[in-house]
Amino acid sequence: MLYPLAGLFVPVGPWRWGDGASTFDAVRVSLVYTGIAMLVVVAAGTPMALYIARAAPRERLFWQAILLVSILLPPLALGILLSLAFGPHSLGAFLEHFGLRMTNTPLAFVVTQVYVSIGYYILGAVAALDGVPAELETQGGLLGHDRTSVFWRITFPLARLGFAVALSLAWVRALTEFGAILITAYYPAGMPVALWTSLENFGLPAVMPLLIVFLVTALPLPWLAHILAQRRLSRA
Amino acid sequence: MLDAHVIKARPRFTVDAVVRVAAGESCGVFGASGAGKSTILGCIAGAQAPDGGHVKVGALALFPPPLPLHKRPIGYLSQDANVFPHLRVAENVRFGVGNGAGADESWIAELRDRLQLEPIWREPGHAISGGQARRVALARMLARKPPLVLLDEPFSGLDRRLVRELLGAIVEWQRRLGFTMLVVDHEADVLARVCSRAIVIEEGRVVQDAPWDVLHAHAATPLLEQLLAPL
Repeated sequence: MLYPLAGLFVPVGPWRWGDGASTFDAVRVSLVYTGIAMLVVVAAGTPMALYIARAAPRERLFWQAILLVSILLPPLALGILLSLAFGPHSLGAFLEHFGLRMTNTPLAFVVTQVYVSIGYYILGAVAALDGVPAELETQGGLLGHDRTSVFWRITFPLARLGFAVALSLAWVRALTEFGAILITAYYPAGMPVALWTSLENFGLPAVMPLLIVFLVTALPLPWLAHILAQRRLSRA
Repeated sequence: MLDAHVIKARPRFTVDAVVRVAAGESCGVFGASGAGKSTILGCIAGAQAPDGGHVKVGALALFPPPLPLHKRPIGYLSQDANVFPHLRVAENVRFGVGNGAGADESWIAELRDRLQLEPIWREPGHAISGGQARRVALARMLARKPPLVLLDEPFSGLDRRLVRELLGAIVEWQRRLGFTMLVVDHEADVLARVCSRAIVIEEGRVVQDAPWDVLHAHAATPLLEQLLAPL
């Protein structure tokens, strides 16, 4: 599984920054906009996950099937569909009235990231919530706590590491998205697009430093969440 | 105090039972395993959704429409203790009363001591045994001093010595605090220690509702006669 990392040690000539300023911009764009996208994903996805986790089996299957669409669609196809659905001949015309452009803007970048990652977050969160017995929540209610209090005092503490794993998957999915972003938000260029343009314009030596930055920013969160989850499992 | 008509479809039969208990009274729900006793208790508590009927505690309607769980004046001990695994025993017991001025510290200390929770007071909920978990759940439920107490086989998994002690404690607390109590069990001798009368359930229906001496003298069905017969 780790073999592809051996590519980092293949001689490709002296490494160099393709364009220092644009590389820094790409890192900033990716981290800031992915952070914003994750806020949206958590704010919208958590209530959805709670609803789906406690829904009747048939309704639950329905919502899971809908969520799978965003996961299973090829990224490039999703990008094309998003640019059409939010384009000037559809919802985009309406949004333009409010000064919101849905092509090559930070908004387009964040919306695309939300679309590609929210399915991963919700399905992961539903799996985490499945691990919390509904009887515990019922007991919490009968002990005088309303739903919000039960969520924060019982449900979330018991499911929090599952939520963290779901969020880390969504984070990686959004941060590394290339195909859909390429269509909807080539500008402002995030790291995947910057990698591509560096490769095209300057060749492999210019890509390698950015590749390292990419790995360092994308991997720690899911690793940490995974390790914490394993530690909790081994304690139980 | 409690006026309930529970209708709930189950795979083999439909539970259709009327349960009335006067304020301050202690009543048993007795019957063979799988008769629908726990379903009745779960529907009254709100842990299960009834298909029909009604549930009232005093003037307060719990169903229909279903009253949110946190507004129900009920303490419910289900067959599974449902101790919160991520909280310590002390936090479990205080879950319904908190740590503020509202908590009756002497009452919590009495529960801790009478239910022998002192040795495990600081243990996490996931680290205690099944018998200990039942005692924690009982303490947690009683800490709020609910006006209506529903106990579903409260002594299962406990040794006879502990059952005797708990029976004594529950009877004493019920007299002192005056709460209304509905207890489900399939052991007549256990129920008879805490309840003056019992509602007998067979396949979801009430077949007899009478004091214990009447049940023993005039069992309404052959099954009840068998259930009451000594080993």
